[in-house]
Amino acid sequence: MHNTLTRVQNVFGFFTSVAFAVAAAIAISVVLSSQTPSASLQLRNVQVVKGRPHYYSTKREEYAHITFSLDADLSTLFNWNTKQVFAYITASYPSDSPASIPESEAVVWDAVIPAKNAPEHHNTYIHPTKSTARPKTKKERLSLNKAYPPGKEPGILKLDKQKPKYQITDVSGKIAERNNATLTLHWNVQPWVGALVWDNRRTVGRWQGLKGGEAAFEFPPLKATEAKKEDLKTATGKEKNRGSPA
Amino acid sequence: MFSSLGNLQPRQLAAQVLNFALVLSTAFMLWKGLSVFTNSSSPIVVVLSGSMEPAFQRGDLLFLWNRGQETQVGEIVVYNVRGKDIPIVHRVIRRFGGGSAPLQLLTKGDNNAADDTELYARGQSYLDRSKDVIGSVVGYVPFVGYVTILLSEYPWLKTAMLVFMALTVVLQRE
Amino acid sequence: MDQILEQARSLWEGEVDFEGQRLADYLTYGLLTISGVIAFLVGFATQNIYQTLYIGLGGTAVTFLAVVPQWPFFNQHPLPWLPPKNAPKSQRNTGLEGINMEGISIEVDGQKVG
Repeated sequence: MHNTLTRVQNVFGFFTSVAFAVAAAIAISVVLSSQTPSASLQLRNVQVVKGRPHYYSTKREEYAHITFSLDADLSTLFNWNTKQVFAYITASYPSDSPASIPESEAVVWDAVIPAKNAPEHHNTYIHPTKSTARPKTKKERLSLNKAYPPGKEPGILKLDKQKPKYQITDVSGKIAERNNATLTLHWNVQPWVGALVWDNRRTVGRWQGLKGGEAAFEFPPLKATEAKKEDLKTATGKEKNRGSPA
Repeated sequence: MFSSLGNLQPRQLAAQVLNFALVLSTAFMLWKGLSVFTNSSSPIVVVLSGSMEPAFQRGDLLFLWNRGQETQVGEIVVYNVRGKDIPIVHRVIRRFGGGSAPLQLLTKGDNNAADDTELYARGQSYLDRSKDVIGSVVGYVPFVGYVTILLSEYPWLKTAMLVFMALTVVLQRE
Repeated sequence: MDQILEQARSLWEGEVDFEGQRLADYLTYGLLTISGVIAFLVGFATQNIYQTLYIGLGGTAVTFLAVVPQWPFFNQHPLPWLPPKNAPKSQRNTGLEGINMEGISIEVDGQKVG
């Protein structure tokens, strides 16, 4: 008959089976939740300058500084299995031989938007707020350090004349005067358990595709005159994005 | 106390060894089968560093898929630094090429301030999708890989497990 | 030393009778399945995954507590061992040599053996 060890093994073994089944059910249940994301993205300004965009750049190359405005509602992407939404805006442009080589793409800005019940982390996005007045109550102070505007929900983004987080270069070193470029909003939903999903523009079941969130533009010629240093600053935001590579 | 082992006849012992070998080889077959299905040399990886927090924590399990050669910006890839055997899990932030040209990727950990240029081999500015990348993350399970981290970082745990198994032999009443 | 070993063995063995074993199995499967189902439903209804985690882990802890220790209700149907015949050769149950065959008749295919 079963001794104590056998009983422990039986309970633990069946526990793993049940845990696996519940995890699978959770992962599949996200299909049932409806999503209605919406966004509107506009280019505000783009400058191309020759210089050293990164601290490790060894040679001078052309880099682009893209400012934009974003009004997005990604709050319906948050279901019970959502741990965080990684929202990012990319600039994409055709390659030198568009017939055989697809577009090049680079991230200009990104934000880590955690779900409300996700544990605190120093790297989560802090939504910029217009008011410069000092917060009076603790409630006000707490609402200013969230990934969404005060009084709203995670996934709401209202950015006006937002400076980019990254200045982008091309692998060839030349990014000026490239035409047919597009600024696009994307997202990546990180679940608590299950499959990772990226932005969908086509409607799939209860998940509405995203309309909007795109802006066409062109890279201007190289700036002849010296660009002002403040104009080329990147927005690292208030989040503490420290951490050595790897 | 060792009478239970001494009582085993050679055929029973052989049967036990065969059983054990069967379990091991089944596990090996499943692993290799999954490798072939996903086209990845390591289809399941455990997150070892905190560079992708808060999305991934140390000990989380990631499921990889390597059949999509046109990796998009925003996907999370696992790659090996050339010359080293350390797999790194980071997000793609730039892509150039693809199609008929080799696809070049630049990656960055969400929790890092800088991109991975300093991590790549000397003289390498971008990853080559076909050569350096082991796979792209498609699925995620939290926590369950933490056992492997504990076993590798606290070797005394392995000894403790062996002691425990020896104890079961002593205490079993056959 | 042998006394302590024997006590340790008894504790380790955690002996239960067959009815108790069946009860333990039913409890294992029943409690774990129910806690899994409830965990999922409550979490889904409240749209809070932490509820699922807490209920699931709590149910598992309850199952361990109910099934692993040697509770008295697992030994309600003790096995009816035959009474020991007089003067057996050794006290320990080491195998066939220890069983006293007096007064026991074994028949194989109608013929008396042993």
